[in-house]
Amino acid sequence: MSGAGGVLGPDSFRRIAGGALELRGADGVEVLLMHESGGLTRFANSEIHQSIAREDTGLRVRVVKSGHVGVAASNEATPEGALAAARSALEMAEVVAADPQWPGLAPPAPAPDVDRFFEDTASASPAMRADAVAQLIGACAPDCRAAGAYETIAVELGLANSEGQFCWAPSTLASLTTVVSGPDGGSGFAEVFAGSTGPIDAGAIGRTANEKAVGSASPRALDAGTYTVVLEPAATATLVGFLAWVGFAGRAYIEGRSCFDGKEGRQVAAPSVSIWDDGTDPRTLGVPFDFEGTPKQRVDLVGDGVFRGVVYDRRTGKEAGRPSTGHGLPSPNPEGPFPLHLFMGTGDATVEEMVRSTERGLLVTRFHYSNIVNPMESSITGMTRDGTFLIEHGEVVGPVRNLRFTQSILGALSSVSMVGREAHLASEFFFSASRVPALKVDEFHFSGVSDH
Amino acid sequence: MLDVAKMAVDAARSAGADLADARAGTDESESLTVRNQEMEGIDRSTSTGVGIRVLVGGRWGFAATARLDDAEIARTARLAVEMAKAAQRLPGDAVSLTPVDPATASWRTPVKEDPFTVPLEEKVALLMEASRVMQGVPGLSFAEAGLDFFRRSTWFASSDGAAIEQVITNSGGGIEAVAVADGDMQRRSYPNSFRGHVKAAGYEHIRTLGLIEEAERIGAEAVALLSAPECPSEVTTLVLDSGQMELQIHESIGHPIELDRVLGMEEAYAGSSWLSPDDRGKVRYASDLVSITADATLPGGLGTFGFDDEGVPAQRVPIIVDGIFENFLSSRETAGVVGQTSNATSRADGWSHLPLIRMTNISIEPREGTLSEIIGDTDRGIFMTTNSSWSIDDKRINFQFGCEQAWRIEHGALATPYKNPNYTGITPEFWGSCDAIGGAEDWVVWGTPNCGKGQPGQVGRVGHGASPARFHNVQVGVRG
Repeated sequence: MSGAGGVLGPDSFRRIAGGALELRGADGVEVLLMHESGGLTRFANSEIHQSIAREDTGLRVRVVKSGHVGVAASNEATPEGALAAARSALEMAEVVAADPQWPGLAPPAPAPDVDRFFEDTASASPAMRADAVAQLIGACAPDCRAAGAYETIAVELGLANSEGQFCWAPSTLASLTTVVSGPDGGSGFAEVFAGSTGPIDAGAIGRTANEKAVGSASPRALDAGTYTVVLEPAATATLVGFLAWVGFAGRAYIEGRSCFDGKEGRQVAAPSVSIWDDGTDPRTLGVPFDFEGTPKQRVDLVGDGVFRGVVYDRRTGKEAGRPSTGHGLPSPNPEGPFPLHLFMGTGDATVEEMVRSTERGLLVTRFHYSNIVNPMESSITGMTRDGTFLIEHGEVVGPVRNLRFTQSILGALSSVSMVGREAHLASEFFFSASRVPALKVDEFHFSGVSDH
Repeated sequence: MLDVAKMAVDAARSAGADLADARAGTDESESLTVRNQEMEGIDRSTSTGVGIRVLVGGRWGFAATARLDDAEIARTARLAVEMAKAAQRLPGDAVSLTPVDPATASWRTPVKEDPFTVPLEEKVALLMEASRVMQGVPGLSFAEAGLDFFRRSTWFASSDGAAIEQVITNSGGGIEAVAVADGDMQRRSYPNSFRGHVKAAGYEHIRTLGLIEEAERIGAEAVALLSAPECPSEVTTLVLDSGQMELQIHESIGHPIELDRVLGMEEAYAGSSWLSPDDRGKVRYASDLVSITADATLPGGLGTFGFDDEGVPAQRVPIIVDGIFENFLSSRETAGVVGQTSNATSRADGWSHLPLIRMTNISIEPREGTLSEIIGDTDRGIFMTTNSSWSIDDKRINFQFGCEQAWRIEHGALATPYKNPNYTGITPEFWGSCDAIGGAEDWVVWGTPNCGKGQPGQVGRVGHGASPARFHNVQVGVRG
């Protein structure tokens, strides 16, 4: 890995962090550095309307003195800038009360060796992205309009602390997402997230979204109510992603605020449902250590439908009497740990088989603007978007207008009757992606309808 | 730093830009969070850099860097031009900008007490005491309090000759009480949810909030909610407090009137709008009681500034007049489509982002009466307060919002309190049912410091002046 535009390398990170580690008068110092360089080609109405390049290096210094903790962040990525941030953090630490749960900084420990840096992504040019966008648009019908974004980013994350831990890892992200709009109210969606630009077939993404847009033209109104649904992976990712918010975070679980409160070892979903987090798996994105410098571990969250456990950072791990699982976020972090690399186990069905087995139901491409209604009931609401279709007698019979769902996630996962044989990376939140399959859910509650 | 911006513009012109502007800037923030009298977070952040925007052959290019030496600025300017040239590989209409007089100006938020110079000890003591008072309520699980301060300094230069310096300061604070028991969790917030009430102001704003004075009441309400009945499911008259009205205005009026959404430029990510470019002056958006204004000159609003990030001076613009839709929020690029000039709503999340159309201060004009008088004038219905959840479809039509607490209104008085209230509606139907809007005495300029839009995602700071209001035939109590 060399020669990529904008890559600083571990020696530069070590040199910058060294400035903060020289701080006098503290018991511990931790330096988190993130360098990001990349570009984005954004298109709408089948034209490129934004073409962007950015490069920045952020550093975040946590200082502890007798259990008193302060944090300062800056983008002055020099040893002098790191030392100035450390001094500011120490000033803050000196005015606050000691943290009785302070777990100490991460001890030295090697992170798993995962190579997630792809030169083709790091060096992607705006011309390459523009040509791919042209290919995507070319795959769409002349009376359709394509919108979306092609982003290529190289990220270096490094962490050094006064305990002697040092870790550095580069990674890349390439993503191409589109919504294609048809002339009669139809719209279709497709996306690919990957570390390399290699798997991104712009023409195929365009064809998939175009097919949905053409097929969803002139949707008919459908009454709200309870339906069987076939959820494509992007829709499944919404359920799994929000389950992370309301259930899998160690802090909420310790405090009795998780939807899994009191459910350890109990059946919470259909036996065909298994969910875990694994930042070391080569099929996901990111780096193999967390923002405290703890190596990431695979954590089984739901196995065969049974709740197995949650993720921890150093602070919540200490509180629970367990080691950190490597799920700490950048400090200060009142929300606690969070799983960023969720997986859902696959089954043996295709989407076509799910549709064929459905007497009456809905095929959902994806959800839009979902949000939590009742966290302890794992209840969320949101809209369908970019391709919602009625299934009758085992066939897709036509598009329907978008519907609002209000549904308990665990309720939905408990009525899963089929699981897709292929998993796809899909992003519900901007900073993480889940690798999940399609699902058939026998009962899913739609609480309202829209006009398009 | 104005020299940096001017140097970036010159470099872009030398690299082949037809037009260029640059924003050199520094963002500073300070955030403190206390929970149960323990410090959950205390941090400061600074970020400095320059973003260069160019037009080449009618196409945009943008590049940003944190390194401000001459060579890096020249490299970044060439990169911006390269970006624009790459965009020319696809056919399309050339970008055309509406005119603006290039200004030489300086503007800053009026601040009486610089929040960054108030001693940390004083801020921590305030939060600790608010937390302590809440914790005194039996049965309370978590007492949280937070303060946030933000300052953005921007130096803008353009190849048209603009040279503008701005310093924008925001201060905010709030408390939250959380009660957890028997598989239920209830939360009450003050003065508003999601870290409180944020204004364009200095620390003097924090001193007016009364965080300690309201702490016991908020704690008691959170605990009481645990034993309150669920908000019933019915179609009824709904009264919203001004804090929830802020969210209602933001999601169902503020976003749909953004002209870039209307023109499909945000379609793939956050969605478009139910409005069309030719709807101005024709569409009935709301009942004739409702008038909405976009006002970037409003004192205290998070959307208040001297000039937007294209150098266009701040304006007050009518959006809805007596229920009829009149104006979009526009940028120099989009305004020409509807035959206007920019009304100065193009703003970026700092130096490293491209400006987008963002709300300024989108406010409902006050009418008459207090919240108490509106409730007193309601025979039967539901009153909801303090937002807890929001969701709206990709054209901003079908929405569902949750609040922290509700009460039954019976014969003009508050009766049974309810937990887990929510309501749903269709944007023009809902606003069309509005038959009461409170007066100036209950009109509050709220701040929304976390509005998301764009790809890559940008955080926008926007404001909303809102009074309590009443709506009819609303579905409340949606169940999953």
